[in-house]
Amino acid sequence: MSNYNSDSSYANHSIRTKKRIRASLQYFFAALITIIMIFPLYWMVISSFKTTEEILRTVPTFWPTTFQLESYSAVFTQFPMWRFILNTLICTVSCTLLQLVIGVLAAYAFSKGEFPGRDIVFVVILGALMVPIQVTFIPTYILVARLNWINTFAGLIVPEAASAYFIFMLRQNFKAVDESYIDAGRVDGMGRLGIIRHVLVPMCKPTVITVTIIAFINGWNSYFWPKMVTTRNDYRTVSIALKEISSSFAGLEFMNFNKIMAASVVTIIPVVILFLLCQRYILTGFSKAAMK
Amino acid sequence: MSEQSLVKKRRRSVYRIRGKFFDFSCALPAIIFFVIFTYYPIVELFRYSMTDWNLMKSEYHYVSFKNYQWLFTSSVGWKRFSSSLRVTLIYTIADVAASCIFGMLLALLFDRMSRAFKFMRTAVILPKYVTMTASVMVFELLYNTEYGLINRALSAFKITPIPWLTSPDTALLSVILFSVWRSVGYAMMIYLSAMKGLSPEYFEAASLDGANGIQKFRYITLPLIAPTTVFLGVTSFLAAMKVYQTVELLTGGGPYESTSVIVYWIYALAFRNYRVDRASAVGVIFFLILLICTILTMNVTDRRVNYDA
Repeated sequence: MSNYNSDSSYANHSIRTKKRIRASLQYFFAALITIIMIFPLYWMVISSFKTTEEILRTVPTFWPTTFQLESYSAVFTQFPMWRFILNTLICTVSCTLLQLVIGVLAAYAFSKGEFPGRDIVFVVILGALMVPIQVTFIPTYILVARLNWINTFAGLIVPEAASAYFIFMLRQNFKAVDESYIDAGRVDGMGRLGIIRHVLVPMCKPTVITVTIIAFINGWNSYFWPKMVTTRNDYRTVSIALKEISSSFAGLEFMNFNKIMAASVVTIIPVVILFLLCQRYILTGFSKAAMK
Repeated sequence: MSEQSLVKKRRRSVYRIRGKFFDFSCALPAIIFFVIFTYYPIVELFRYSMTDWNLMKSEYHYVSFKNYQWLFTSSVGWKRFSSSLRVTLIYTIADVAASCIFGMLLALLFDRMSRAFKFMRTAVILPKYVTMTASVMVFELLYNTEYGLINRALSAFKITPIPWLTSPDTALLSVILFSVWRSVGYAMMIYLSAMKGLSPEYFEAASLDGANGIQKFRYITLPLIAPTTVFLGVTSFLAAMKVYQTVELLTGGGPYESTSVIVYWIYALAFRNYRVDRASAVGVIFFLILLICTILTMNVTDRRVNYDA
């Protein structure tokens, strides 16, 4: 009897050890991968604090021996960094707001609204998903150039003022809102605009927030179109300016790598903060994409 | 009573007609936008591809299919076209396959629900949201032949420095590695939420039948998440075909056009060589390729939206 007992406890014990070994292995490998994934960003940050001499050392240092902030001050004095940041903010905020307003209105029209030919028009809008900017950029550039919009905020903002993806996503959500809520709003004396503002948008708040965050991050990181329409620093956004800063050191990149890294850190801070604060919303978007 | 209901009805119908007008005006900004910035450009693209328009010249003539002839039958045109198509396909397939496979493996590894794992998952997805230009800057530093950390680390194992971005043999590989670093976290999250949705009953039943972890993965997880794989594969395939920024920033299409993907070639034709006519012809072909791929895979992506846009 006692023999049997000790046997079973031995088996339990071995299972537990096995489980523990497994868990620690899982922790170990996950941590290893995390370190590899995050390493480039870590390297960016520490390189921005290193001196040029330290960056060029044959034996690399994984923690700066002397912290220097001169790269940051140099970036802000040698380049119109504040101008770039301001430009990016203007473009990103305007694009996000426009995409949101146009998106919400269109999503309402194609879900709860009614007008002749509604569904055909919606298919036409959806069709725009199949025509990316990478296909249309030459005629769009020529159109913008004819409007004299090269190197203007209009040229940067207007061609990116609506997103078929957002209209599609918002419409799916608005469609799911039950008619009875809309009738209730009507009974309360709301007009159609009131119903959009006080019924549809609040009821689909998570999607609206997700869309806003993603629009902001995409706008901040946007490269393809801003590159086409800007040739002067007065209108360059950070994402474009960073490349210009690095090219301005042509041939001497290695003497200035700490400055390039400092400018990179300044560029990514807003999006990284936004991502860390709002990742909950971005991740719910993921699970929606994964499940049908 | 009947009069009252009649008034009500009339009121409602007035409301309806006014409403229809209102509803249509809500859709109007979007309609105008897509007509001007999507449909008009695509028509213009077809038109340009039929001309001999050089950006340096002020006038142009219609030349029917001459640019397509150049693209498909001239030795230079065909060589560049087929090579850019090949590079794009290699990049796309490698990027999609690697993100799907590693994304799935990472999802298995990172599936624990503790605070530490939540933190680590955040770190793995972060690269996708970091401004790509900034990431490229640090990868240029890491990849550098002389001063780069990768070659410094390799030299510890007595491996001669590899010219990651400056040799035609490794440039495309370096671009792909960078892309996978950015996109693998996204794939992991998609797989994680798909796996979370699987009913635990299957696994319990399998355990009772004495299945081990690998068997459970092979015979339960893998088939059940197959739709996710297809969805992820298709959407990332369509996104990867449009690659431009990674190539432009990391290698500028070089060395020896070894990383000149199709969008980069279109850009270079139009804005470096000023050959809008030829660039438009390539653009039209590229558009048709994308269109065919999209239509063929439509039932897979139906109703689902990829945030990659």
